Amino acid sequence: MSADASAAVPSGPDRRPPGWRAWALLAPMVLWLLLFVVVPAAILFVYSFCERDEVGGVIFTFTWENYQRVLDPVYLRIFLRSIGYAGLTTLLCVVLGYPVAYYIARAGEQRRNQLLLLVMVPFWTSFLIRTYAWITILKQEGLLNGLLQSLHLTVTPLSLLYTPTAVVIGLVYAYLPFMILPIYGSAEKLDHALVEAAYDLGAGPLRAFSSVIIPLTMPGIAAGTLLVFVPAIGMFAITDLMGGAKVPMIGNVIQNQFMQARDWPFGAALGVVFMLMFALTYVLLQRRGARLAA
Amino acid sequence: MKLPISSLLALSVLLAPSALTAAGVVNLFGWSEYVPQAVLDGFTAETGIKVNFETFASNEELLSKLVAGGGAYDLVQPSDYAAEVMIRRQMLAPLDPAKLPNLKNIDPALMRLPHDPAGAYTVPYMTGTVGIVVNTGKVHEPIRGYRDIFQPKFQNRLVVLNDSRELVTWALYAQGLAANDVTPANLAKVRPLLAEWVKLVKVFDSDSPKTALLNGDVDIGVVWSGEAAILWTQDRKFQYVLPAEGAHQFVDVLAIPAKAKNRDEAHAFINYILRPEVSRLISAAFPYTNPNLAARKLLTPEELANPASYPKGGRLETFRDIGKTATVIDKLVTDLKSAL
Repeated sequence: MSADASAAVPSGPDRRPPGWRAWALLAPMVLWLLLFVVVPAAILFVYSFCERDEVGGVIFTFTWENYQRVLDPVYLRIFLRSIGYAGLTTLLCVVLGYPVAYYIARAGEQRRNQLLLLVMVPFWTSFLIRTYAWITILKQEGLLNGLLQSLHLTVTPLSLLYTPTAVVIGLVYAYLPFMILPIYGSAEKLDHALVEAAYDLGAGPLRAFSSVIIPLTMPGIAAGTLLVFVPAIGMFAITDLMGGAKVPMIGNVIQNQFMQARDWPFGAALGVVFMLMFALTYVLLQRRGARLAA
Repeated sequence: MKLPISSLLALSVLLAPSALTAAGVVNLFGWSEYVPQAVLDGFTAETGIKVNFETFASNEELLSKLVAGGGAYDLVQPSDYAAEVMIRRQMLAPLDPAKLPNLKNIDPALMRLPHDPAGAYTVPYMTGTVGIVVNTGKVHEPIRGYRDIFQPKFQNRLVVLNDSRELVTWALYAQGLAANDVTPANLAKVRPLLAEWVKLVKVFDSDSPKTALLNGDVDIGVVWSGEAAILWTQDRKFQYVLPAEGAHQFVDVLAIPAKAKNRDEAHAFINYILRPEVSRLISAAFPYTNPNLAARKLLTPEELANPASYPKGGRLETFRDIGKTATVIDKLVTDLKSAL
């Protein structure tokens, strides 16, 4: 028994270079990434330099035209607007999600699990069905207007659906759990002794919150921001269904290129620029995280 | 052990005797929400030919799939202008009239249209128009055409199709131009008008524009006639008007791809659809305009009275393929919308 143990010690599992067994275990993951991330991205990259033919096929040539078109003020404005909407969504998610996440993390274990379950319950239903539920709530003759009028708070029904407000409501609703869960993750690990120490050293609740709690939960906020901001920029279903497809987001423009306009190369160029933006956001957040850690 | 119903169904399909396949198959690529299941089942029950049914949601989807060489289909269901592209690219096989005796039932006015001038490749399945639907409970002014509805007083009371080419077509009509006269010069001419119009619209929706009207969020729509027909059956206050300036008519057709393997079965299917009593079933489920004159005789007076299914008069025109100009139109509409 002891001989076995001592024999095992010199070659600790993490000292060895990864053997074939490790690669075999990794293979499904690597294959998945290769097939569904690397190859599609490569196709997108190649297409983005091609041309559209008469019926919407792709002609393999080399042109910068698609990228020049991306720089057209029309699309730049849409990019900026999408960033604006995604930014507002992220901000609202932090403001709304932080107290929830913090409360859940501080709750007793049984209660904590119940609350976490409640955060995740919406995922049991299809995203589209939940969006349609919002339409039922916000429409002119909908539940919210009915409630407001029966309480005599409003006389004429409010126009809620098909407005920018409806889009932001939809986006915040869709992405709030993605902000709550990572913040919960870091708030749960928060050492409460540090907060008490802050109080002992004379910090008020505000000071303790801004100088101790926020920095310690920053990794959660950063991860949540990434999980909310990045997909919110590209979202097109909510703008279509709840915004009445009135104000195009970059996701709608890209979708249009692949469907109605049949201009795959331009759609691909928009997609590539989009991916570069994601990468940039990620790098910036990583750097910030690293600086905060140091 | 409890099995979900869907897996039981899948099992029963797998275990079912496949004697029927001996009689052949036909691979149909058609619009979603356009071919009633009862029609497919009836065809299989009678001929023993199995129908593999796949769906698409837009002509563009159909074209890109076929241009890319995907799918081994025996029968496709494009709209007029998409069929035109396919004929030009030699992607369709000529039909054999000897195998389609029921073709005599089709309205001659809907045959030999510009997309298939010789009538050699396509058979009309259903036709329809794009027109104005008015909630007469809320709108009391007379509505005759596009210029009557795109008015500041109707701001935020309009739903229109989320389709760049449709929007441009209405503006072309309103300026007295032809629907297929889509040139850069004409687009520049309609641009100021469209810019005004886009500001007035509350909802852009091509999939189910009737929803916003039914929900009371808007009072006027420019929609597919089939959507308007359904609204009328739900409430007579929804009246359909063919715009006086001119209206887009679409003819959705059945056609056989050049690479199809089961051509006899495909012909059999087309001929089956052309039967009055079968075509009648399609009208009942999807109240567009039935091009089958014999089938129209079987419709109820109420179905025939539906102003959206069988509108009176009107200057109708089908779309022609506009090639690369589709990109220019898309950019124009995106530009106008993003200026909101």
